[in-house]
Amino acid sequence: MTINKRVLSRIFILSFFALALASCGSHFIGVLNPKGIIASEERKLLFNTMALMLIVVLPVIIMSIAFIYHYQISHRVQDYKPNWSHSYFLESLWWGIPCAIIFVLAIITWKKTFEYDPFRPIPGFNEPPMTVQVIALPWKWLFIYPEYNIATINYLEIPVGRQVEYSITTDNVPMSAFFIPQLGSQIYTMTGMRSQLHLVATSTGQFDGMNTQFNGVGFSDMHFMVNVVNETEMAQWVKNTQKSSLKLTVAKYTELLKPTLNDQPLFFSSVPANLFNDVIKLYMNSNGTTHPRASLTEGKMND
Amino acid sequence: MQSNSLTETMHHAEADSNDVFGFWLYILTDCILFATLFATYLVLNYSNPMQSIQLKQYADLHDVLTETFLLLASNFTFCLSILNIYQKKVLKTQFWLILTFILGAGFIFMEVSEFIHFAQEGFRWDVIAHASSFFTLVGTHGLHVSFGLLWILTMIIQLPFIKAQHIAIRRMTYLGLFWNFLDIVWIFVFTIVYLLGAI
Amino acid sequence: MISHLLFGNLTLDAIPFHSGIIMGAFAFMMLATFAILFVITYYRKWSYIWYEWVCSVDHKKIGIMYLILGSVMFLRGISDMVLMRAQQAIAAGQYHGYLPADHFDQIFTAHGVIMIFFVAMPFMFGLMNVAIPLQIGARDVAYPYLNSLSFWLTFVGAMICNASLVIGDFAATGWLAYPPLSETYYSPTVGVDYYIMSLQIAGVGTLLAGINFIVTILKMRCPGMTPMKMPIFVWSVLCSMILVVLAFPVLTVTLALLALDRYLGMHFFTDFAGGNVMMYINLIWVWGHPEVYILILPAFGIFSEIVATFSQKTLFGYTTMVWAIGVITFLSFVVWLHHFFTMGAGADVNTFFGIATMVIAIPTGVKIFNWLFTMYKGRIRLTTPMLWVTAFFTTFALGGMTGVMMAIPPVDFQVHNSVFLVAHFHNVIIGGVLFGYFAGFIYWFPKAFGFKLDEKWGKAAFVLWVLGFYVAFMPLYVVGLEGFMRRNDHYSNYYFQPYLIVAALGGGLILLGILCQGIQLIVSFTNRELLRDHTGDPWDGRTLEWSLASPAPLYNFAVIPKVETLDALWAYKQEHLGESIAHLKPQHYAPIHLPKNTPAGCIIAIFAGILGFALVWHMLIPALIGFLGIIGSVIIKSFYFDPEYELDEATIKKTELAHFKEIAECKAIR
Repeated sequence: MTINKRVLSRIFILSFFALALASCGSHFIGVLNPKGIIASEERKLLFNTMALMLIVVLPVIIMSIAFIYHYQISHRVQDYKPNWSHSYFLESLWWGIPCAIIFVLAIITWKKTFEYDPFRPIPGFNEPPMTVQVIALPWKWLFIYPEYNIATINYLEIPVGRQVEYSITTDNVPMSAFFIPQLGSQIYTMTGMRSQLHLVATSTGQFDGMNTQFNGVGFSDMHFMVNVVNETEMAQWVKNTQKSSLKLTVAKYTELLKPTLNDQPLFFSSVPANLFNDVIKLYMNSNGTTHPRASLTEGKMND
Repeated sequence: MQSNSLTETMHHAEADSNDVFGFWLYILTDCILFATLFATYLVLNYSNPMQSIQLKQYADLHDVLTETFLLLASNFTFCLSILNIYQKKVLKTQFWLILTFILGAGFIFMEVSEFIHFAQEGFRWDVIAHASSFFTLVGTHGLHVSFGLLWILTMIIQLPFIKAQHIAIRRMTYLGLFWNFLDIVWIFVFTIVYLLGAI
Repeated sequence: MISHLLFGNLTLDAIPFHSGIIMGAFAFMMLATFAILFVITYYRKWSYIWYEWVCSVDHKKIGIMYLILGSVMFLRGISDMVLMRAQQAIAAGQYHGYLPADHFDQIFTAHGVIMIFFVAMPFMFGLMNVAIPLQIGARDVAYPYLNSLSFWLTFVGAMICNASLVIGDFAATGWLAYPPLSETYYSPTVGVDYYIMSLQIAGVGTLLAGINFIVTILKMRCPGMTPMKMPIFVWSVLCSMILVVLAFPVLTVTLALLALDRYLGMHFFTDFAGGNVMMYINLIWVWGHPEVYILILPAFGIFSEIVATFSQKTLFGYTTMVWAIGVITFLSFVVWLHHFFTMGAGADVNTFFGIATMVIAIPTGVKIFNWLFTMYKGRIRLTTPMLWVTAFFTTFALGGMTGVMMAIPPVDFQVHNSVFLVAHFHNVIIGGVLFGYFAGFIYWFPKAFGFKLDEKWGKAAFVLWVLGFYVAFMPLYVVGLEGFMRRNDHYSNYYFQPYLIVAALGGGLILLGILCQGIQLIVSFTNRELLRDHTGDPWDGRTLEWSLASPAPLYNFAVIPKVETLDALWAYKQEHLGESIAHLKPQHYAPIHLPKNTPAGCIIAIFAGILGFALVWHMLIPALIGFLGIIGSVIIKSFYFDPEYELDEATIKKTELAHFKEIAECKAIR
């Protein structure tokens, strides 16, 4: 296997990768096609970091191929220096340049981590954010709109250009994570705790939302549809939902706590008062030997 | 490159000192083990304000004082047994080892009674997290002490058989390190668990 | 009543007769096992196997057994990969593939557990056992009996994991078994218990081996070998073992606490009654991050040895390399939170750990440049080990790059738990750890077995592996950025399917590469006389192990060497160019004390296995037998006060003279 074939195969792989990337064009989804403020910033950060790192990585790749090719024993190169193993100049170069790059990256990290902290409201939006409370259930998502007293299963409708503040917890399902890739960050969510996330959508459209943290056999089904619409459509949707015949009663919520797969969207016209906070308090104040939800599922969560 | 002198097997003392170094490393790993248990104990006790069931409602510090005295005394008797093995007095070594065993067994007996009493009163390991961490931390120390007692027993029986003295000293050194280490851990236990928690 | 105490919860229902895949795997395992047992019986080798291998306390034999264990478990780990890639390539839209979700979940868990604990770790300990004592001029490790025990405990841990395939099920939680999913309420079957027992037993073995190698390296170097004259592989192993000794107790405690939750109803990590899930995640990653450095540091050491040897040049910047290893060792303890930036620790905590993580890239980069400039102005022989090194540079650099990208919390908020993450860690583990261990395996194979491996099949395997790796993982980077998460057994968006099909093809190429490696072993064994290493120095090496015969004699060095410089063998060869080392025959030989073989390691491990299996199924009497068996064996072994014997000088002299004769004949032929 000569060095040429190896170089060629390396080029082949990289160009295959580049072609694959290029050929898909504007049909990208996820952070490569951001539709929210946070996601756009995150994409920028991703590629900027990659560029900075390539300053070191590209020379490494080139040198690794060039040196091995050039100094092959069959090439009988004349400058063989078997005992040369030290150079202050070179050492300071490859300690110094990576230190400088990491220093720059560290400053960027510091700034951006505080700026895009999920708990921090997004600056520049004077009107108070719309609040949505999210409860991860086995294996579906419950969205509560406390301002309108409506709720949905696996369906999130939000207005474009307006900040939404999500408060998230789980009930009767292991630790999960709330994520709408095209809008912004993901965040873990745990029983008895409240996670927070702030997102702003910049385009209307339908996007995918999901759970990223594996939590059992129904994990792959934990997707929800996100529908970003303008204010008038939003108001209309809220009104329609408030007229829905389905009501989220305590009994219905108890039924929802049972493990199900592949739930279709449901729309509820009323929600028990303080449901979200009560769910959190239930776990926080629990003690004893039985799980607070044991009676519902008879302990069979993974059948 | 090769030495001209005859090949030597390692002198016994050199081999033994290597072995004891290894045992110190083991003690280091046991330190990390207890450190992890302490960290868990502190997190579970102080991060959740849910405190309807608390250690101070059940613990009796007088018992803790007695247990401490028993364990400390057992360390003293063990040191006496080490002094005797250096002087190659096997019978006296065994005598002080037996006393160490009795004192240590007394410690374990008191601790087990304490646990049973707590459980009967309602402070159980399966009821709330900080109770779980109490029983686990203190119980792990107690388990280590129990293994130490078994080791002391084995040593008492084995000493007359060990004709080659350096093995006896080496093994007693290990046991001494282990026993002293457990005493030190106990000091942390009663400070962090009992004094901080029950005052 | 008695049957309950004996059999616990174990019934015939535990065997998954309904699953064709599992029954097929079981049949294959049984066939292979019976074939091996038949061969041993046919050649009447049982007492040989027992006395010379099972009871062996010789580091060279223990190293070989570790390598065999790692290779066999590798086949299981790769089968898991094939199953997963095939499933994901077809399970698009409404079609849910051929694997039920619960089975898929166990497969990805087993894949991770097996690859890390039962392939990478055994392989690492195998190479360490084969090489370290020889490199430092020692006759064995500090605690030979403990070495045997460590191996057998790892072996038993692997066997318990294998048992879970056929009797009961395995954890379906991911390789780190996060609670509350791994708690009884959400995982009521025995799977997580199997996970805990197999890892605990193997973990104890690893911890003991860590202590063993630290004492060996610090206390048993030959005269003249000061720390800064040790081969760099020895430094990397020393630092790796320091990490083992500091990190594995945390794993032991964490798994024990999970076991207490499951067995005694405690509330360390339950999602009610005060349990703290975040505590587990912190603890497990306080272990987990050092673990990956435990794996990579010896690989770095191997690269250093191979680059220097095959460039026929001194390693560039030895002192810097040592410092870099030390800095990496220290830093690996302050970065663990980067595994869960998304858990909501807040911006200040996330920033600290993000920056700390990036800082590790600096000494790692320094090492890469030192290797590159070792090759610069060298005379490079492109043997298979050197090929693995060249692939390592590009692959590991790319993997490191994606790692630094993810070290920035806002970026991580997008790619965490996606297949971008999966591609990153496979990138660094395959590109760094696996390529390193493959290179080391080929490099030290002659020293362990006495003959080289076939170069042609080695190069074929290399090409297929490297091609396969890129084809399998580059698509994952792309779809990871597009919202495709890990651990999905099916997905509804057809958009991802072409990428996953390509990834499956890549997996197929890797499988072909492994096939070539298998063929390489068979072909090399068949042609071993042609490939035999007559001189003990097949690569024109630089370090002490190449001054011995291949395979090395039982006692390693007849006379303990005295060194004066780094790369002592190379320095010696430069001084005595053209002369054969045969002229170094010592004046006289002395008898050597060696440790006696003992079955104690194997017996204790078997009792540990009985205890572990019994605990999984709540079988009280067998558990008690296992527990008392361990204690009893240890106590009984302690009554054997004279564990050494003396090898007489006549045997030593005969072995040595035969070796010198072989070298002389080899030179004469040339």
